[in-house]
Amino acid sequence: MIPSSFRDPHGFVFRRGSVLYRQVNDAHRPHFDRFIESGLYERLVADGLLVAHKDADVSLAAAPDAYRILQPEPIAFISYPYEWSFQMLRDAALETLTIQTLALDYGMSLRDATAYNVTYHRGRPIFLDTTSFEILPEGRPWIAYRQFCQHFLAPLALMSLCDVRLGQLSRLYIDGLPLDLVSRLLPSRARTKLGLMMHLRMHSKSQRRHEDKEVPASSLTGSFSKNAFRGVIRSLEKTIQRLAPPQSTSVWSEYYAEADHYSVAALQGKESLVADWIAEVAPRSVWDLGANTGRFARIASRRGIDTVAFDVDPLCVDQAYQDSRAKGDRHFLPLVQDLTNPSTGIGWGAKERASLEDRGPADLVLALALIHHLAIADNVPIPSMLDLLSRLGRWAVVEFVPKSDPKVRLLLRNREDVFPDYRTEAFEIAAEARFRIEKREPVADSGRTLYLLGPR
Amino acid sequence: MRSRRRPWGSRVAVAVLCFMAFSFLWIPVANAYIDPGTGSLVFQALIGGLLAVGVVIKIFWKRVVRFVSRGKRATPDV
Repeated sequence: MIPSSFRDPHGFVFRRGSVLYRQVNDAHRPHFDRFIESGLYERLVADGLLVAHKDADVSLAAAPDAYRILQPEPIAFISYPYEWSFQMLRDAALETLTIQTLALDYGMSLRDATAYNVTYHRGRPIFLDTTSFEILPEGRPWIAYRQFCQHFLAPLALMSLCDVRLGQLSRLYIDGLPLDLVSRLLPSRARTKLGLMMHLRMHSKSQRRHEDKEVPASSLTGSFSKNAFRGVIRSLEKTIQRLAPPQSTSVWSEYYAEADHYSVAALQGKESLVADWIAEVAPRSVWDLGANTGRFARIASRRGIDTVAFDVDPLCVDQAYQDSRAKGDRHFLPLVQDLTNPSTGIGWGAKERASLEDRGPADLVLALALIHHLAIADNVPIPSMLDLLSRLGRWAVVEFVPKSDPKVRLLLRNREDVFPDYRTEAFEIAAEARFRIEKREPVADSGRTLYLLGPR
Repeated sequence: MRSRRRPWGSRVAVAVLCFMAFSFLWIPVANAYIDPGTGSLVFQALIGGLLAVGVVIKIFWKRVVRFVSRGKRATPDV
């Protein structure tokens, strides 16, 4: 059983060998039948909103009470909401609401609205949980409203109005951000946004007021009309659409535009080397570490290789995502990731959401204009860095930036040079211990060297 | 004649009796069993009615627009 899929008696996800299956339990039968027969499933798949599945043999069931076994279409790389940029989280939120709106037309509704029901696939958000749909209970408010506000609206509001880095709070709060915390963190200009005041602040007060009260169940059903339902969804949609993306530039997002340390010749030389080597190795997956706005990662994604472009700066990732949607790039996935503190396993048993390494390795990793930052700014020894690279990818393209380089001199300007081992020779020795140096080429017009490292 | 004001002793007695009565009526929340779900449902039921108005108006307005534009098309050019 997949470690994240244990909470729902209606079904769960499990693996047999390398194939992923979803078991639909008997408890879910009437809902599942309606889901298929009403045409909602067809519609969602046709619109690219829900992951498609094939029917598999029921004998493959991993637990008793199985009604059906589904084989969903595999996702190239599962990513989590705390790894998404603002616009990625926003698009995932709006898509969840679009799905709920459509479901209402077919007499159905989402049972939950956790951000982990969505992931990115072929460049856009996609809904994963096929068994989340239930027959619309007459007159009852949306059961998933609280989750939607905590998983989506809350972090989006904080990222937009407070600081984009607060998106990382989702790592701490596995079931969405507590609304009272969010209400306290929101700046005063949030008071002018009625939607936020309603769905976050007043909602939070209602939660506090009722947390120790017993409200008879009958008072919560019977009077919530479909128009009221649509009203709530529409209000959430408008509130999210009115959130401005966080500030549009940062030190890193303007990196290449201001690149005085890279001549045009150097950039083109580097690009053609990377392109040639990717063509030779022909990897099925590429991870670009420290990808910035994805300039080099696109060399791989353009060739149809599933590429993940990691960067520590959420604004760069947002820019990369925007570019990717504009180009319709189906093989490019930008994500926020700090290599000195990467995604770890979190949730129940510390396994519900997988660590970065558990989701790898990739066939090839790109470490361009990266290792001098890890070595000098973060004090990571070169052998340790190469250890990480060998765990993250079978092949690696590494750019060694020597101490004579203007960028390294900048890093060393205000600090003591305690890096006697940061030398080409030491790098090559460490590389040979973990990889095989297949190629070594200088980058035109610069003191840098590009290495192609292959498996031993 | 005796003063109409009650003597201190019985004032205190009344106060204590009132306090005891109230403390039976209001049970303090010592170890509240947290249920975040109810508050959200109650709140949504509250705002649902209000937000439904917007939806109804939108549907009504669309009908008005359709009616008016059909009327316009039907008018012959003079």
